[in-house]
Amino acid sequence: MRSLTEGTARDFLWRTQNADGGWGYAVGHTSNVEATAAVVLALADAATAGIPFASVPPRSQSAEEQGADRAIAWLVAAQRPDGGWGLTADDPVSGWQTAWAVLALARPDASEATVRRGVAWLLAVPLMRLEKAEDVRWMKDILGIDPALRGWPWLPGQAGWVEPTALALLALAPWAERTDVRPRLDEGIHFLLDRHCQGGGWNVGNPVMFSRPLPPRAIPTAWALLALNRLMPEAVRAEDVATLRKEMHADGSTSALAWGLLALRSLGQDDRVAADRLAARQAADGGWDGSPYHTAIALRALR
Amino acid sequence: MPTGERRRLSRRAFLRLALLGGIAAGIGAADRLTWPAGLARYLSWAGRGQTLRLNGRPAVVALGHCSSYAEVAACLAETWALADMPDVQGKRVLIKPNLIDFIEGHPITTAPEVVAGLIDLLRRRGAAEIAVGDGPGFRRDARPVAEACGLLALLAGRQVPFVDLNYDDPRPVTAKDGWFFSVAEIWLPRHVREADLIVSVPKLKTHHWAGVSLSLKNLFGIVPGARYGWPKNLLHFNGITPSILGLYQTVRPVVAVVDGIIGMEGDGPLFGAEVPHGLLAVGRDPVAVDATCAELMGFAPSTVHHLAVARWAGVGQIERIELRGAAADRLRRRYRPPPAG
Repeated sequence: MRSLTEGTARDFLWRTQNADGGWGYAVGHTSNVEATAAVVLALADAATAGIPFASVPPRSQSAEEQGADRAIAWLVAAQRPDGGWGLTADDPVSGWQTAWAVLALARPDASEATVRRGVAWLLAVPLMRLEKAEDVRWMKDILGIDPALRGWPWLPGQAGWVEPTALALLALAPWAERTDVRPRLDEGIHFLLDRHCQGGGWNVGNPVMFSRPLPPRAIPTAWALLALNRLMPEAVRAEDVATLRKEMHADGSTSALAWGLLALRSLGQDDRVAADRLAARQAADGGWDGSPYHTAIALRALR
Repeated sequence: MPTGERRRLSRRAFLRLALLGGIAAGIGAADRLTWPAGLARYLSWAGRGQTLRLNGRPAVVALGHCSSYAEVAACLAETWALADMPDVQGKRVLIKPNLIDFIEGHPITTAPEVVAGLIDLLRRRGAAEIAVGDGPGFRRDARPVAEACGLLALLAGRQVPFVDLNYDDPRPVTAKDGWFFSVAEIWLPRHVREADLIVSVPKLKTHHWAGVSLSLKNLFGIVPGARYGWPKNLLHFNGITPSILGLYQTVRPVVAVVDGIIGMEGDGPLFGAEVPHGLLAVGRDPVAVDATCAELMGFAPSTVHHLAVARWAGVGQIERIELRGAAADRLRRRYRPPPAG
C-alpha cells in the first residue's frame, strides 16, 4: 500500500473521530461499537507496522496517541453492567457487538478485566435452540439447517446466524484451550459447517428455503473463512475460497472487497485485482464511502 | 362478644362474590387468550376496527395501467393526482424501494424507473429534501444491490442521496400502538426518524411468509441491521404480522406507490417468475393500497394474514375503498401463490 494512501486514510480517521472518542458508521453519526472497534484494530495494525499507537507518558503523547487512548476509553466505558456491549454506549441491550469489543480490547491486553467480562458474556449469551424431533425435522425440511446446533445470535434469545457466530469464534479464539471454552467453540464451528451453501460459501445462515438453495454472499463467507481458518483450518474447502473470490468481485463494495482480502490473506492468498479495485475506491478526502468503518477495514485489507 | 360465633355469609353476598370471582376469572382467561397483546389492547384494536368499518372515510386508491416502464412518469403523475396524495411542498421525503437483493433473472427489486419518476414528481411538487434508502435483510450492504439493479446511476444523475438504512445512525423511538410485544422502543434510522413523509415503493410480488410483499411488508427494510442483525430476527420473533403493523403505526405518515408494472408470482420474495402486469397503484392509505393490489393479484385480502388483522384492528381502510383511474377489471390477474410458509 502506498504510504500517501495510508497517511490520508489515517488523517480521515482522526478527522472523523467524535468528541467522545468513538466513531460512527458515517461522519457525524453517534459513536458505535463496531465502527470504533474496527478503527482501533486498524490503528493497532499500524502500531504493529511501527506506527505509534500504544500509550506513552502524557507529555510526549502525540495527538494520534491521545486519540487512540480516547477510543479505547470509549469502548471500555461503553461496556454494559452484564459484561456485553450494545450498538452504542447508551444501548440498553448487549448484543453481537460484544465480539467486536473483545477483539479490539484484547489486542493490547487480553487479560484485562473488561475483556474477561466480555468473554464471559459471549460464553453465556442465551439463544434459541430447537431440540424437539419434529421441530428439528421441520427446520431441516424447510431451511436445510440443524436448529439444535448452537451458533451465536445477533441479540440474546434469538437464533444463531453465520456472521455473529464467526465474529464470536474469532473473539474467543485466544481462549480456545480453556476447557470451558473449547466445546462451545467446537459447536460454533459445526454450526458454521452446517450452514454451508450448496456449491460453497455462506450467506446469513439460510442455505436453503423451501428446498430452494439460497446463494452465498461475500461478507458472511469471508467472516466464516476467517473463523474456520483460525480454529479449524482443515475445514476450509477450496470451493469456499473460490466462492469468496467470485462473490467479492460480484458485490464490489468496499466491505466485500476488504473482508474478502482479509480472509484471503489469512489463508496465505491474495487477489491483486481486488486490491486494486479497493484502492481505487478511496475518495479524495482519504476515506472510503465517507465511512470510518469502511475506511478502517480497507486500511487493514490494503496494508 | 361470645366466642365461637361465626358470621354467616348471606346468600346474596355469596352470589355477589361468586359473580365477582367469575368476572375476575373471565378477565384473567381473556387476558391469557389475547396474549401477548393483552385484553385492554385487544379491545381497543377491535373497537377501532369496528368504528373504522362502520364510520370510516373511504380510502382512495388510484390505479394506473402502464404497459412499460417507459410510460411510468406520466402514469405516476396521473395516479398521484387522482389519489389525493398529501402535499409535499417543503417536506423531507424518504423514498423506500424494495432492494432485498439482486438475483439475475428474478424481478425482486423495485424498478429504478419508478423511483426516478417519483423523484421527478416530488421535485415538481416542491419537496424540500428527497432521499432514497433501504436496509436489506440478507445483505450487509445495500449499495451493491442499488448499483446492480441500476438505481444508483439514476440517483446520481438526479443528485439524490442513497442511504443504507442498515447503518443510518439508528436511535430508539417509542414503538406505537402496542404491536411490539417485548420491547417498548424500536431503533430506527435517522432518515426514517426525520422524514416528514415516507413513500413506500415496493415491487408487487408474492412472499412465502407474508403471502404478499407490498407497501406494508416493504417497511421491514427500515429496521437497521446494525442494531438487529441480518436478517432482522426481532421481526420474526415478534411475529410477521404484528411487526408489519407495528412498523407502519410507528413511522406514519407512510404512503404507497406500488410497482406492479412487472410483478412476480410463485416462489417469492426471491425466486418467483415475472408477471407482465402493467399495474401502478398509488394511495395515502397503504392498507387500502395493499388490499387492492392483493385482490388484483387474485388473493382475497381476508386470506392475507396481516391485511386481515389490519382490517380487524382498524389500522387502515379495507371495507370502503374508492378506486380511481384505470378500470380494475383490466388489471386483474391470477398470480401463482408462494410456497406455504
